[in-house]
Amino acid sequence: MSINQVLPFVSTAIMGYFTVWVLQRYAVRRAPQFLFWGIGLAMFAAGSFAEAFLSLAWNPWVFFVWYLFGAALNAAWIGHGTLYLLVRKRWVHAVTGVLIVGSLFAGYLMLQAMPKLDAASFTTSKPVSEQYGTKVLKDGETAPAGAQTATTTYRGKEVTVVRGLLPLGTPVRLTTPFFNIYGLLTLVGGAIYSAYLFWRKRVMPNRVIGNVLIAAGALFIGSASTLTRLGYGQFLYLGELLSAILMFAGFRFAARPQPDEVPQAIAAPAD
Amino acid sequence: MPNGNRMINKSHIPENSTFFEKIVPALLIFMGVLTVVLILFAAGVLLGIVHF
Repeated sequence: MSINQVLPFVSTAIMGYFTVWVLQRYAVRRAPQFLFWGIGLAMFAAGSFAEAFLSLAWNPWVFFVWYLFGAALNAAWIGHGTLYLLVRKRWVHAVTGVLIVGSLFAGYLMLQAMPKLDAASFTTSKPVSEQYGTKVLKDGETAPAGAQTATTTYRGKEVTVVRGLLPLGTPVRLTTPFFNIYGLLTLVGGAIYSAYLFWRKRVMPNRVIGNVLIAAGALFIGSASTLTRLGYGQFLYLGELLSAILMFAGFRFAARPQPDEVPQAIAAPAD
Repeated sequence: MPNGNRMINKSHIPENSTFFEKIVPALLIFMGVLTVVLILFAAGVLLGIVHF
């Protein structure tokens, strides 16, 4: 096995442990943010495992898991946990409803796409992130080295495409940016905002550092995914691993009691 | 983010710390800018401006 085949398995193991750690906290505290973080992290772990599997072999249902949980939903669900932590308003429950319905709809669209997958274009020599989408080549544009091309009719025009697993115009691909924008805003924005609040008040340095690490971890995977879509896929697996390590370290750091903290269970608000 | 322990926290950010006075604000600004760039990228994909 190459290093690029080992790294996603390491990321999966870290995210799996991280997921169990967060869900254990939910079992004790029953605070909704832990539930949403746990679900989102479980999605991240499932997506990471699927990516590791797809570096060794093809399976359409593993691709289903990779796309739906790894590429589309996980950031939004983790970020929604952060929204529950930062905003204690009723409208957050309405957003939860939209997130659940939107996720189910994305799952339905992904099921619709399954019979249309172009499995013949799949190769284990590239990350799945580099080959899931079919791309139209513009006039004068050449296909990347080693890419498989085909001529097809799209919106009434004959076009040359770089073949990918999901055909052109697959509706589920339109849902992904919505989830990722929401996830970036709430997960990274929430962590930056939390770090700023504690920093401005000059308190809880552990939470300042913890939230900086969480934001950095989320940005690592966001940046690595974006670079992959732009054709620089060599950073993806390392980015995933660094993201898993930084986010886990951030959560542990932020939850760590400080030396001069005084236990006072009665006065603490239920969170 | 994690807000779990039910304790009163008396800890404060150390005075005259280069890490907290310079590095943390710079990181927060950099990450904020990067977040905006990534959101604009995703929005560009959604609107069909960015093709990949």
